[in-house]
Amino acid sequence: MSDTCRLTVNGADSTVAAEGDTTLLTVLRDQLALTGAKRGCNQGVCGACTVAIDDAPMRSCLSLAANCEGRAILTVEGLERDPIGAALQRAFAESGAVQCGFCTPGMLISARRLLAETARPSDDAIRAGLSGNLCRCSGYRRIVDAVRRAAQELSR
Amino acid sequence: MSGVAFHRPRSLDEALALLADEEARPLAGGASLVAMMNARLLAPAALVSLREIPELRGITDEADGGIRIGAMTRHCETAAEGRLSGTLGVVRAAAGKIANPPVRNMGTMGGSISLADPGADYPAALVAAGAVIEIAAKGGSRRLAARDFFVDWYTTALEPGELVAAILLPQPRDGDGLYHKLARVAGDFATVSVALSAASDGAVSVAIGGCGPTPVASEAANAALSGRLGDAQAAREAGEILAGLADPVDDVRASAGYRRLVIPRMVVEAAAAAAQPARAA
Repeated sequence: MSDTCRLTVNGADSTVAAEGDTTLLTVLRDQLALTGAKRGCNQGVCGACTVAIDDAPMRSCLSLAANCEGRAILTVEGLERDPIGAALQRAFAESGAVQCGFCTPGMLISARRLLAETARPSDDAIRAGLSGNLCRCSGYRRIVDAVRRAAQELSR
Repeated sequence: MSGVAFHRPRSLDEALALLADEEARPLAGGASLVAMMNARLLAPAALVSLREIPELRGITDEADGGIRIGAMTRHCETAAEGRLSGTLGVVRAAAGKIANPPVRNMGTMGGSISLADPGADYPAALVAAGAVIEIAAKGGSRRLAARDFFVDWYTTALEPGELVAAILLPQPRDGDGLYHKLARVAGDFATVSVALSAASDGAVSVAIGGCGPTPVASEAANAALSGRLGDAQAAREAGEILAGLADPVDDVRASAGYRRLVIPRMVVEAAAAAAQPARAA
């Protein structure tokens, strides 16, 4: 039992303060200043908190920091060094897929996994892959366009 | 400072010893437990992570041809498991309909069934598949049929300090297994669900989810459908039997009356789908 834990985030190791019930989202935002992940619902429904843990998109609001020791955490701040992540960031910007931006970090993390698994997903597959990320602004169309655009660029 | 302790046992025995403390809660994927903690519905004094316990992991073949799904198996793994074919396809299909991709990457079968949310997807599927739940306790383990494991609203047969260790499925048989889920929106809990397992020899097992405290199933409904999967009238009769046994409530998703109305229609639809020859998996 301890009140600190060691986390590996975007390739860097940190020792953070964490009680048993401290969520990864709280640690990322409050201690590591990685405010890309957002606290939208704190119930795992909206997807704004989505980060990748060992490459799999997961809800940081439902992850306990202490339970993430020894795992590799990737947030939106770490995407520019990732070929798929960087392509998605460019495509989101170029496609007008960012309005208020609140859903965007989570969308990028989910989309990255989708394109890592499927090089040229259909629009239906894109929507299914992003089905855990809600957007209140855009109506999703330009987000789907952006993912399709990134997929095309990556598979050239 | 919350003072909540966090334990990382390395074995099932170690975990069970820690869980003898009534104030301690087991932590599987956290998809439900942490959500409840965030909503201030639960405030455990200690958490016992099940992440590092080898006895709870993996999908393995049993000597009798059955399949053992470790309690810590995540929904994404179950949804991708090729061995859950034929009559066991119902479990695989249900896993793929749970919530959304990130939640499926975190949530576990053991954790999910331990909560026994009446709108969840596994209970009806496990009853239809004839699953047996293996429960680990300090004094030893015991097994219980899935239909006896789900007792009431958010209530299972687990005694304090006990853990789901694994879910045991019978040998997959030639046939089909499907899971139809009526929900307000993709990713929601089921308003009404139908889990159907149909063997090529004609035996059918069907269970309804979201329409009462526990899955609704009956030998009479199964008998009405067995050998008559392609018979819409037989399917309707089976559906009426199940609608009569269901005990749905009015809630935010639908009224009880709506659910009773929909059950037979969904059973007819599911039976027709299962009766299609050479259905894609």
